[in-house]
Amino acid sequence: MESFFSRYRNLVVLLAILMVQIIGLAVQVRRTSDGRSTADTRDPASVRLIRLWAVGLVSPPEKAAHSTKMGIVGMWQNYIDLRHVREQNAQLQEQLDRLRLAQASLLEDARQGQRLQALLDFQHRYIYSTLAAQAIGSSGNLQSHLFYLDKGSNSGLKPDMAVITAEGIVGKVRDVFSSTAQVLMINDQTSGAGVILESTRIRGILTGNASGQLEIVGILADERIKPGERVLTAGGDLIYPRGLPVGEVDKVVRDPDRDAFIIVMVKPYAHLDRLDEVLVITDIQTRLSPKDQQDIATSEAVKGEEAQAIKDQLKASEIMAEHLPGLIDPALPPEQQPLLDNSNPTPVAHPPQALHPDRFTPGSNDAAKAGTSTGESQSQPDSLKPVVKAPAKPQPKSDTTAPAVPGTQKDQ
Amino acid sequence: MAVLGSTIHLERRRYAKILYVIVPLAALVLQAWLPRVVGQYAWFDLPLIVTVYFALGRRSPVQGTIMGAIMGIFEDALTHRPIGINGIAKTVVGFLAASVGVRIAVENQAIRLFLNFLLSLLSSAIVVFIYHFLLGLDLKWRWFTEVYSAIGNSLVAMVLFPVLDRLQVRD
Repeated sequence: MESFFSRYRNLVVLLAILMVQIIGLAVQVRRTSDGRSTADTRDPASVRLIRLWAVGLVSPPEKAAHSTKMGIVGMWQNYIDLRHVREQNAQLQEQLDRLRLAQASLLEDARQGQRLQALLDFQHRYIYSTLAAQAIGSSGNLQSHLFYLDKGSNSGLKPDMAVITAEGIVGKVRDVFSSTAQVLMINDQTSGAGVILESTRIRGILTGNASGQLEIVGILADERIKPGERVLTAGGDLIYPRGLPVGEVDKVVRDPDRDAFIIVMVKPYAHLDRLDEVLVITDIQTRLSPKDQQDIATSEAVKGEEAQAIKDQLKASEIMAEHLPGLIDPALPPEQQPLLDNSNPTPVAHPPQALHPDRFTPGSNDAAKAGTSTGESQSQPDSLKPVVKAPAKPQPKSDTTAPAVPGTQKDQ
Repeated sequence: MAVLGSTIHLERRRYAKILYVIVPLAALVLQAWLPRVVGQYAWFDLPLIVTVYFALGRRSPVQGTIMGAIMGIFEDALTHRPIGINGIAKTVVGFLAASVGVRIAVENQAIRLFLNFLLSLLSSAIVVFIYHFLLGLDLKWRWFTEVYSAIGNSLVAMVLFPVLDRLQVRD
């Protein structure tokens, strides 16, 4: 017996280690009711312990490396590369003002929508609070698109919380440790999110493919879907709030497995392979957060000031209009407007009479008057003849019975 | 026949004990951290390269098997996939690399790189086999990505192996 083990020691060790791992795999994978195999979304205690050891071993050096990198980047950005900051600040301030106005103008629509939703007994859920976190590491595996955050359960993170950036959604928290958390990205093959196409209102399931690209599956062939259409979260998966930006349609391809279906390839808004800082949605409520309410109040105040300024401007215009003679009176019908009324007693200014008339003097250009400047004009029918406008003849100021308005009378 | 040798005449490389901890740990940390820097072009597997290096140098199938198993299990633990898939693949790789190292003089850099390329492909094949046939899980994969990874591993090994060679203890 001893000679057998000593002789085949290498093979015995290999088989023993392989057997232990195969049994471990069998514990983690189970069969569903429809006969398919699936990995447990929640790890057994022993497996979670191994993950905890691995994360505990790898996370501290990752955090140190990430802190060093961010320190160098921060030193560059905060102390050295500060050119054009004032201009950017001014531009951002202008953009903020514009966005506030836009937000305030959209607010009424939103309130109306809320009233209708209340009538339908539909509760819209708002992002109530978020937590900023840094991405410190990844799984290191091309088949597993996930990354680690520098915050965990100590900071209040829990599984299934949505992770977003300002550009769009990123993923969801899969597992939480004390000081780190694992985020499953939306471009992983095992990921899934309910999405809706913005203009066509077609719904589908967003997932990742083998190359880490986003695709929407489960959509029947539809010619209305065009590249460039925005994709938003649908809100039905109870993870991502409704209406968050996801990306835009990149292209539409046929589903190779199902004839009537198509696959919509999506280009994500968030830079999934270059994530540094993300926001974790830690709380979703049916009312807006105090910060959002404060922003809306500020927007309304800004809008109120803007409206007051426009109102003052209009009032000043009306006062000016009362003191100045108007060409158009809005109270009168068009045929009685002073501009067309021959009985208007207001004298029209005429050019003074020339002391030494020449060919440029108004009324002395016989060729123009006769329309003989070109030979073709004589052969043209009346409808095609150019309209030649003659300047008004000089008239004495006392003649108010037939005023000639320049440009309004055709030469007879 | 200079390449081929018997198990008796081939020398086992020795390293400081701390290196057996630091180098694999550094490989795991860098494997988790570097994709944050290089993005989707992370076509390398540092734990696999380190496993192959030590297995070829130590020429001990048992040590190669154990190191491969530990590296693979830790690699799996950092993903959300079941633990043991990479573990099995790297266990086999470590065992085979050490078994080859027992019979072949692997001081030649070209041979080590070629072995690294082949063992990378073998590791990918084992992973796909486990996913599809052993576990029956639905996993889409692309063969050219695995080829890119094998090429990337060879390129990294071309730089890393000479650096690690300098760390060995010489009499």
